[in-house]
Amino acid sequence: MRAETLKGHLDGLLLASLEAGPRHGYAIMEALRAGSGGQFDLPTGTIYPALRRLEQAGLIKGTWSQAGGRQRRVYDLTPAGRRTLAAERGTWREFSAAVTALLAPAPRPVTP
Amino acid sequence: MTSDSAVADYLRVLAASLPGPPRARSDILAELHTGLLDAIDAHRSAGLTADAATEAAIAEFGDPRQVGDALRPHLAMTQARRVALALVATGPPIGLLWTAAALASHIAIGYGPPWQWPGAPPLSPAFFPVVGAALMITVWSALATVAATGRLARWLPASPRLAVATAATAGLGAAAADLTIFALLASKLTSAPGTLDPLPIVIAAAASLIRLVLARRAAGKCLAIRATLA
Repeated sequence: MRAETLKGHLDGLLLASLEAGPRHGYAIMEALRAGSGGQFDLPTGTIYPALRRLEQAGLIKGTWSQAGGRQRRVYDLTPAGRRTLAAERGTWREFSAAVTALLAPAPRPVTP
Repeated sequence: MTSDSAVADYLRVLAASLPGPPRARSDILAELHTGLLDAIDAHRSAGLTADAATEAAIAEFGDPRQVGDALRPHLAMTQARRVALALVATGPPIGLLWTAAALASHIAIGYGPPWQWPGAPPLSPAFFPVVGAALMITVWSALATVAATGRLARWLPASPRLAVATAATAGLGAAAADLTIFALLASKLTSAPGTLDPLPIVIAAAASLIRLVLARRAAGKCLAIRATLA
């Protein structure tokens, strides 16, 4: 799936990937790829700017820590991030329900 | 090309496209370096050779110039915030130093307009309003920048171009205020040099001079970053 298709949803997906616990940048990328069955295969380099933007907005917090023999910047959701994720979920449910209803094949009118 | 040199080349191209504070740049480069090594490890685990894994990891990360383009807004916000916070933090102490210098030099600070204070410099009627206006511009621009580049950004969304512009305005405002204060000091020195207390004046002037130089330089950096943003 192209990056443009995901535009507007990337923030919510990144927040959701951190819901289960802290992850570093590449692990977040792998979680998105695996969780989408390989559908979301973004250029990995684009994930990092998005993470920094979310951190600047106070939705996630990044800290350097030693993991797997390397110094990694590990991100975790902040309380504001959890609230934003819950709100994004609600919005997405409403949006997807509406789109699904509209895209569902309409029953053919019965001809006499 | 070896794996290490391919990664180093990628990071070199990326670094060349990143403006902003050196510490923020090196932090981002270190994170991407680790990410590239993680990607190489993942491809090697999938059975690729070292060189093929490096090539695949670099392809997976995407064009370093595009990654740099995507990181530039973040670095611009970081630069703007740093400048604004520095101005907010240094403003009150420098103001206090000048107040102490004025009191020590027998300038009777009172409730009326500064040019009516006994002992005020001769150019006060013309220059004190300029100092006041420059400080107002500095304070409001710096506070707006701090708000737009921190957690309030969720409610006060500002583009990185606007954030570096307001930070540059704050920096230039502070520099203008310092320059005008120096003009006031010069007018006092020429009219009544004997009334000035040298030590507090020298301390306040040194602090103002340092801020003037740094604020002017910071404003220049902000405007340079602004020019690189689309």
